[in-house]
Amino acid sequence: MSKGVHRFALLVACATFLLIIAGANVTSHDAGLATSDWPRSNGTFFPKMVGNLFWEHGHRMVATAVGILTIALAVYVQVRERRLWVKRLGWIALGGVIAQGLLGGLTVKLNLPLAVSAAHATLAQLFFLITVCLAVFTSRNWVTPESSVNENGAGVSLRTLCVAALAVILTQLVLGATLRHSATWDQDLPTSLLLAHVGGAIAVTLILGSTVATVLLRYRTERYLARPALIAAMLLLVQLCLGLAAYIARTASPYDPQPLTPMVSVTVAHVACGALVFATSIILTLRVFRVLRVDRQEYVLAPAQAVRAP
Amino acid sequence: MFSKRARMWLGLIAALSLLSLGSSCGNKTATDESGGGDKSGKAYTSKGDEGTITGKVSYTGAAPEAKKIDTSADAACTSKSPNLMTEEWVVKDGKLANTYVYIKSGTLADGSKIADYSGWPDMPTSATLDQNGCHYKPHVLGVVVNEPITITNSDPTTHNIHFTPKNNPDWNQSQPNGAASMTHKLAVAEVLVPVKCNQHPWMKSYVGVTKHPFFAVTGEDGSFTIKGVPPGKYTVVAWHEGGANGTEKPMDVTVSAKGSVTADFSFGANALGQPSSLRMMPAIEFPMPMSMKH
Repeated sequence: MSKGVHRFALLVACATFLLIIAGANVTSHDAGLATSDWPRSNGTFFPKMVGNLFWEHGHRMVATAVGILTIALAVYVQVRERRLWVKRLGWIALGGVIAQGLLGGLTVKLNLPLAVSAAHATLAQLFFLITVCLAVFTSRNWVTPESSVNENGAGVSLRTLCVAALAVILTQLVLGATLRHSATWDQDLPTSLLLAHVGGAIAVTLILGSTVATVLLRYRTERYLARPALIAAMLLLVQLCLGLAAYIARTASPYDPQPLTPMVSVTVAHVACGALVFATSIILTLRVFRVLRVDRQEYVLAPAQAVRAP
Repeated sequence: MFSKRARMWLGLIAALSLLSLGSSCGNKTATDESGGGDKSGKAYTSKGDEGTITGKVSYTGAAPEAKKIDTSADAACTSKSPNLMTEEWVVKDGKLANTYVYIKSGTLADGSKIADYSGWPDMPTSATLDQNGCHYKPHVLGVVVNEPITITNSDPTTHNIHFTPKNNPDWNQSQPNGAASMTHKLAVAEVLVPVKCNQHPWMKSYVGVTKHPFFAVTGEDGSFTIKGVPPGKYTVVAWHEGGANGTEKPMDVTVSAKGSVTADFSFGANALGQPSSLRMMPAIEFPMPMSMKH
């Protein structure tokens, strides 16, 4: 384990979070096609950053920085890390950032088709997942956890709950990305997708809420688990409020002369907070899998009863 | 590398992601019936008895105020157009400008449909869309299918011109200041094609595309004239951009030989698409008992 690798992985995860914010700004400002070329903008790598080109080219610049950082992290991990699977994850991160860049270029060249744009936004969250995982796997807490905890209490396993929460959060992020890319600020949001996203919010609230409640009921004294659970609960609450605010602001925006700051701010904050809920849930899930010891139940078959023929 | 359970979860996540993406794709809208589609048809031969449709488009009630546009994101726009206002509702003395009026459908006196024809006398041959002062001139433009639209940039800044049609291919091109003019054609009839600049998101224009030349855009006095209309019965539509998706007002008219018919339209505060301060989306309608409805 190297403290340097962990710090660098943390830096890449934070930079990726900033990149998600930069990308959300592009969508909220409807700046994705502010220039028709890629990778250059208006024929140059250093265009005049005016109008919406500030957001689109700014996003490309932050993405380039994250790409360079990811290359450095992948190499750093190969040099300093002993665990083969962590080394592999470093290469997967590199592959992810390259694929993400190509998807970004493709969606510009194809004039933002919904499927490609939504895939670009989804891969952003998956790449964020990888960087968070790398930061967790290289941390001291992961390599040498203080103690292991026995899974106690009846009912659904905490591991199952955590994985289910991650699955619904990721699905909700995909739905949110698709919803955002299906209509620009001056168009009404499609009702079916909006309802699906609201349904997703209810599912996330129920499943993540159950996960957090289970952690707090069974392992309140285990700070290693209780802390991310509490943070996830607080972020979820903030996220629900931001979702409602984003809906109100976004519903009014088609009648605005241009994307206005309140709508942009609240929708970008909603995307950013969604990424944070995801990140916290990833950390909680990984920690649960790391320290929670599940006793394998042995099922002993009852001795076969002799059936006597009548 | 992954356990059986992990593989199951990964598969589930991938399936859900693909499902949600798939459900959102493929929302195409129907083609407008003003000769929608670029099907070749017969040519109309003038008989010398064509008539005229004239009229005025008015706005009843208090006209919505134009909103100030914040151009501070690009100093070139601020210096050229320091007081840029929205052009959604241009109302002067109760008359509404920038309304696109066209024959949507109809039958000629000989029983043939207007949509059966693709060749007409006096078809316009070119139109110009200029980016000037960080807004489009004209704000609403009418063309016939495959008519070259010359796009010019008169501003000291780069624009991108982005046609966002439903039935024609999407088209987006950057045009730096001082660049040569560009030409674009729309091959399929469509009313109307929104045009925008993603660099300057307040810039909007609308292009109506028909197979015939029977369209007009109202001027500041709200008036329009459509000339050379063969005798027959037609549905004339006035389209205005007000609201998120625009508002249409249809009217049936009969054009007699060498005659002139008047078609006046009225938009107003109660018209569909009128903006309100906060408009909630009709996401869900709950059935209510009659006693709860007043």
